[in-house]
Amino acid sequence: MAHKAADNKEMIFHGIPASPGIAFGEAFVVNVEDFPVTADRVPPDQIELEVQRFEAALQETEEELRKLHKRLEDEMGVEHAKILDSHRMILTDEVICKDTIRHIKKHKVNAAYAFTTVLDNVLTTFDQIEDQYLKERAEDIRDVKRRVVRNLLGQKVEGLSNLRKQAVVVAKNLTPSDTAVLERKYVLAFVTDTGGSTSHAAIIARSLGIPAVVGLENLSHNVKPYDRLIIDGISGQVVVHPTPETERMFKEAGIKFREMEKELLTLRDYPAVTLDGHTIELSGNIEIADEVDDVVGHGAKGVGLFRTEYFFITRNSLPSEEEQYRYYRSVVKKLAPDPVLFRTLDVGGDKIAKWAPNVQEANPFMGWRGIRFTLSRKDIFRTQLRAIFRTAAHGNVRIMFPMISVMEEVLQAKEICEEVKADLKRERYQIGENVEIGIMIETPSAVAIADMLAREVDFFSIGTNDLIQYSLAVDRGNSRISYLYNDLHPSILRFIRDTVGAAHKEGIWVGICGEMPGSVYGTLLALGLGLDEISAGSYLIPEIKKIIRSVTFGEVKSLVRKVLKLSTAEEVKQFLDKYIADKRPELKEYMPEAFK
Amino acid sequence: MVSGMVKVIAKNGIHLRLASELVKAANRFRSEITISKDSQEVNAKSILGVAGLGAELGSELFIKADGDDESEALDYLIGLVESDFMKERR
Repeated sequence: MAHKAADNKEMIFHGIPASPGIAFGEAFVVNVEDFPVTADRVPPDQIELEVQRFEAALQETEEELRKLHKRLEDEMGVEHAKILDSHRMILTDEVICKDTIRHIKKHKVNAAYAFTTVLDNVLTTFDQIEDQYLKERAEDIRDVKRRVVRNLLGQKVEGLSNLRKQAVVVAKNLTPSDTAVLERKYVLAFVTDTGGSTSHAAIIARSLGIPAVVGLENLSHNVKPYDRLIIDGISGQVVVHPTPETERMFKEAGIKFREMEKELLTLRDYPAVTLDGHTIELSGNIEIADEVDDVVGHGAKGVGLFRTEYFFITRNSLPSEEEQYRYYRSVVKKLAPDPVLFRTLDVGGDKIAKWAPNVQEANPFMGWRGIRFTLSRKDIFRTQLRAIFRTAAHGNVRIMFPMISVMEEVLQAKEICEEVKADLKRERYQIGENVEIGIMIETPSAVAIADMLAREVDFFSIGTNDLIQYSLAVDRGNSRISYLYNDLHPSILRFIRDTVGAAHKEGIWVGICGEMPGSVYGTLLALGLGLDEISAGSYLIPEIKKIIRSVTFGEVKSLVRKVLKLSTAEEVKQFLDKYIADKRPELKEYMPEAFK
Repeated sequence: MVSGMVKVIAKNGIHLRLASELVKAANRFRSEITISKDSQEVNAKSILGVAGLGAELGSELFIKADGDDESEALDYLIGLVESDFMKERR
């Protein structure tokens, strides 16, 4: 093509750096939206050709589905793959094929338009179905529709589950259900148009230790499949069609980054203790059992946050007690005697399970989620608790309830724990006796009554991500206001101070498990505010440990006392910067501000 | 022409996967077969038609078959739904 050279001109996009590292690779563009289909006319002499094109597209789609079916069957089992049988059947549906061909001939329109019209017509009957579950099957039909239309338009845009070789995943947005179907080993980096540094893609990228840049606005429209990309998760740059010069520059930066990482890993076997002998419990956050090796490899002691919902949302139906038990046990056994802290199912918000009722909520983050969901679905709650208590027989287990906003939730959840334990004993199961029960502190109301809550539980864990979101009333996925989402705000620091005070007064320990320790500031503040435990993504553990081991508890405590007198996040940042520059310049190297 | 009534006992109703089982079965017969629920009638050989009925647990389906193998077709399809799709062959 004559204009190919112009097409491949180097372009640089700037976004929000969300996970450090530098990646080089081809783009895998994911587009879950509908393609624009226009009612273009087809000349009469080409109608037959258009019909043939339609039939060819059906065949191509069928072939695609056949391959996918085989792959799914190999990876997930025969049952999982069955749904694709019905997808293939839609392609051979007599009514659909005949109607589409009739439509092409009668209205002399292109196949994509005819097919879309016919299917949309069918889909309207689905809209009238009252049963939610059956209604949602319309999604399957839309999926088939997208595949056929894509093939008709000759676009090579793919679903995430089709990722079969290493590539950079480019998308408008990625939800937990999207990333759940990913073969994680093939993902070199994530880049998304929307989102902030704590959006789901960012969190996953960090837990996988791969770079991510988010909030790139319109990048996905400017990248074609297989375009060469460089992702710099440190500065937030994405380069499309890099020149050899640019490649060289970023390669050097990548080498430097890896060297620093390697140096940090040498700390793996040392404890997280300050220069003056204050020890803090340092543990890892995980979403899936496979991440346990990372936790150990990065030198964390146990798991401080096991987000159990990922086991639930990646499946089409609820996992049974036995399945959960086996899954949890694999994690606990590997880490014993170090603790594993299970956060009970936290669905809702942006984490929607396929089996969950499809409730349309205007404000999902303030809706039916966390403990609110499990207390109203006690069947699900009990099954999970049974599996966890049984797991506790094999190691050191802690249980934590998410999204606590009122006392009643804690009392009810504790009562159910007692019932479950009694049931299990009666059924002669071996269970762990000394399971600590705690709660997440992530709503302002929980902070306000922390003194009373502390009398009811064995520990607190402050979930900074949601606490910031609810306290500052800021949607963390909204890039227009994500500037407000900052853990250095005096309001957040005071909330943490008050929570720690309330916990220690009642003699219980308190940890932090959000993204806050992901910066040198956050780690210093967490230490100085007196938290007993820090749980973070594995990749952060070496850096947090390095920072803790470079300072004295005394100096950081007095630093934080002064910080608590400041009135803006900017002042807090400047004050901490000055402390680092004056007292501990070596810390500058770690976790630059860019990650926040 | 023969016809009969059957009640859906599949827990999640006749969703896409069960609909495909039903359509597969219907396609084995030469007769013209329709299924109706309430006032909606669809071709039993079209998966989108059958899935589009939204036949939830407890709903009643009216199956009609017309052709040289109509009785076998009707018996087989009613049996399939009644058996909860042979527990999805498990």
